[in-house]
Amino acid sequence: MVKISDVKVGEVIKNEFNGITRDLLKEYAKASGDTNPIHTNDVIAEKAGLKGIIAHGLFSFGFITKLFEDFVEHGKYGKLVETDVSMRSMVRCGDLLITEAKITKIEGRRVYFDVKQTTITDVDVKDKNGKIIKQFEAGERGYISEKDIENGLVKTKDVPEGLLTYRERIATPGTAIIELFQ
Amino acid sequence: MEPEEVKKNADFMVKNLAGKEVPGSASVNVRYKTLVAFAKVYGITDPKYIGSEEEGIIACHGFANNFTIKALYKLLLGMKMVQDGKERPFMLNPGKLLHGGQKYDWEGCVDVKPGDKLKIFAKWGKVWVVEKNMILFAELLVSVKNQNGELVCKPTVIAAVRPGGY
Repeated sequence: MVKISDVKVGEVIKNEFNGITRDLLKEYAKASGDTNPIHTNDVIAEKAGLKGIIAHGLFSFGFITKLFEDFVEHGKYGKLVETDVSMRSMVRCGDLLITEAKITKIEGRRVYFDVKQTTITDVDVKDKNGKIIKQFEAGERGYISEKDIENGLVKTKDVPEGLLTYRERIATPGTAIIELFQ
Repeated sequence: MEPEEVKKNADFMVKNLAGKEVPGSASVNVRYKTLVAFAKVYGITDPKYIGSEEEGIIACHGFANNFTIKALYKLLLGMKMVQDGKERPFMLNPGKLLHGGQKYDWEGCVDVKPGDKLKIFAKWGKVWVVEKNMILFAELLVSVKNQNGELVCKPTVIAAVRPGGY
């Protein structure tokens, strides 16, 4: 149960999703009515200069509403009043999508959040000699740009197989408001 | 498209879109199967959204994406304007359209249920151009009502159109 007396400014709620696949985007296209083929057909996406399919802009947004629906236990303890986000960068198959919301203000029974969606895109794993021993879709299709590197979004970390190169960037910043019943 | 024409069209859009109603409406017949399929994309398991048809379900909040897309595709891409005495589509090249931002306001709104017949209307809000890259930004203020005239959501779409698209 979540009550207004339980929540505090600075508290963070979060979900993570690592199941973005071509099949899931096809299911989303059917259910949402957004059948633009750049989201489901690699050949057409490549012709549009995208190097491969991209997730629908609003697809990621569904994880923001889900985060709040889960928080208020599906209307049992509160309701979602408003969400407002900017679409800043593309989300692709294989990305880990992290959705976080931080409480910035509490007024009456209303709770205000800053929302942020971050994508983690694995590129490749190299051995001690710098040889690529495993490549992910982003590495194969060249999703990482010079700008990503210039902006310091491309990072590395040690993993059991070697050194993982990945990109971390904000896809969707924004705000949300919920209202708790008690 | 030449830079002079881009500038001329940008000025035309800024002067002629803001505050105007988008002609026509779009409609969505809400089906049980679609609501369940939509919720399942997000791994939602609560019976409130994916339970049996007999017991009754409601749409998860994310389903607002469905009618927003209808508004974008049917109302925005189908919109015609008159420029220099000639009719032209709002979008000269739909491939130049980007989704710049999205707001959903559910204040005072009722739930969406299977069998609902939704009507979607829209009007233009603020319209501006970023001169550095000549991207046209336009707020599309959408209103979605059910068959009883009750509001189910008030989405705002920020449409971003690259040069050559408007």
